[in-house]
Amino acid sequence: MQVPRSSTPYRQNDAKTGGPLHVGPPDLMLAGITQISRWAGFLAAILLALTGGMLTYEVIARYFFVRPTIWAAELSQLCLIWGCLLAMAYVMSTRRHITVNAVTSLLPQIAQKFCAGISLIFVIVFSLIVAIWGWDIFFDSFERGRTTGSLLNLPTWVAELSVPVGFALLALQSLVELIGLRRAAPYSLGSTHE
Amino acid sequence: MTIVLILAVLFGLLLIGVPVAFALGGIGLGMLIFGGFSPLMAPQAILSTLDGFILLAVPLFLLMSNVLLKGGVGRDLFAAVQAWVGHWPGGLAVATILSCGLFAAISGSSVATAATIGTVAIPEMISRGYDKRFVYGLLAAGGTLGILIPPSIPMIVYGFVTEQSVIALFLAGIGPGIVLIVLFVAFAMLHARFSKAYEPMPKAGWSERAAASKRALPSLALALLVILGLYSGAFTPTEAAAIGFAAAILITTLWLRSLTWAAFWEAIKESAVTTVAILLIVAGAKVFGKAIALYRIPQDISAFIAQAIDGPLMFIIVVSLVLLLMGLVFEALSMILIMTPVLLPAAMGLGFDPIWFGIYMVIMVEVALITPPVGLNLYVIQSVARTTLANVACGVWPFLLLMLATVGLLYGMPDLALYIPFKW
Repeated sequence: MQVPRSSTPYRQNDAKTGGPLHVGPPDLMLAGITQISRWAGFLAAILLALTGGMLTYEVIARYFFVRPTIWAAELSQLCLIWGCLLAMAYVMSTRRHITVNAVTSLLPQIAQKFCAGISLIFVIVFSLIVAIWGWDIFFDSFERGRTTGSLLNLPTWVAELSVPVGFALLALQSLVELIGLRRAAPYSLGSTHE
Repeated sequence: MTIVLILAVLFGLLLIGVPVAFALGGIGLGMLIFGGFSPLMAPQAILSTLDGFILLAVPLFLLMSNVLLKGGVGRDLFAAVQAWVGHWPGGLAVATILSCGLFAAISGSSVATAATIGTVAIPEMISRGYDKRFVYGLLAAGGTLGILIPPSIPMIVYGFVTEQSVIALFLAGIGPGIVLIVLFVAFAMLHARFSKAYEPMPKAGWSERAAASKRALPSLALALLVILGLYSGAFTPTEAAAIGFAAAILITTLWLRSLTWAAFWEAIKESAVTTVAILLIVAGAKVFGKAIALYRIPQDISAFIAQAIDGPLMFIIVVSLVLLLMGLVFEALSMILIMTPVLLPAAMGLGFDPIWFGIYMVIMVEVALITPPVGLNLYVIQSVARTTLANVACGVWPFLLLMLATVGLLYGMPDLALYIPFKW
């Protein structure tokens, strides 16, 4: 059931000859997007791990120094938001979004490819709409100078910007995956469980 | 009619392989647009989901268990438990169940629990002549303890979407978890009594026990710290998870000296990917939940259930059958997230406690995942054990019946779950 995982599903080998593909400028651009997704994924992993440090410090500060911080909860929240949305594209490129494979895995290859294509188009359309509306929310807050009203009183756009950035990257990465379907690639978009 | 159409489109998208998170989010967005509601609600729902402080516990508990895992704690736990109970009748099987239970207290996932204990226990048990099918069934069942004994990621998610106390859910999982452990252990000992094929373990000496316990003790202390800290109210689940992560690093570096930099980075990366996969589904479900609420679908379903279904018992039986059916293709979290917003209003209307319903859902979802002929967790055990699906499916039956008996017991005695959080 487990889908073979590769760090670069945008395969650089030709399906027919097994040799390296002719790499032209468009291919470089596609590989470049995948690389950006990878970096975003790494950054996200670091942000998520940082939340552990911040919240541990918060508990220690509260119980041992009796001086709770005003920043730990809020900043770790921000890390979670950015972390999740930044990593979406990387998780897509490594095919690890949770997906129901039970039915598609029974289909012949060509049908699997077709299903994967439809699914990717669905993801692209969804991501683009969310990115555009997410941008509106961000831009509105940015222009009006809205703030969170919490202790740190950060501008709300700091968190809101993650939606257009994350979903735009996801749309781009899904486009890369869609183009990659031409070649030998895993046809499932994800794994069945985590 | 709308309900049927929406569910048909949703299941259609899921079955052609659209990732669960985007299928839920996409349908929700589509419903908002078609219903003339502001589509701005979709990005807002995604943001408000990830802004939930309680959900921060998900990456942190994952980090904690992944760091311990990479530090080889699964192996240590099994060795320690085996040193104490290995010489009992069916000792290795008992040790496997107890290790699953203990590992469940530092991990929030059933797959991780089955995989971790399975990789050490399966070869050991088979080399000692245990019946293979029994071994596979034992692990499939043992794994389910992972999400029943706190911490539990599905419970965090259930608590988040239903706005119930995650601490109460965690505490409510302990009672049924202990019942399951006792039933499984009793069955394992009975099984050993009647099958003479296996070769019993020699009794471990005191020095061996001390050495094995020394390596396992810090992890057990950590599990205890997390549960007691939550119970006493010293920290929130999110803070407990953060402390657990920090303590896991200390244990694996200073005490066990088993964590390398490469393994640490691997643990961080793995936790991030799992976190994103899980929380995006929660966000997608939030968009979907918002949309179906605007269409008043949960109310319609409640009304329909009130009309068509006669009493709470019938309701539980019907829901259980629906979950068994979904378990053919869905994993635990997706089932809980799709079904809870639809069913909880009806369940509460019939007088079920929302915490009780959460525990019922968690057990029932696990039952669904290991019900032959096809259940998602059966594939997991199959790949851990490198065997055929038929072998796993055969071995799982007795354990499945024990779990169903526990569900029945939970129905008859709701206090099994509710006593510890509310009456103790």
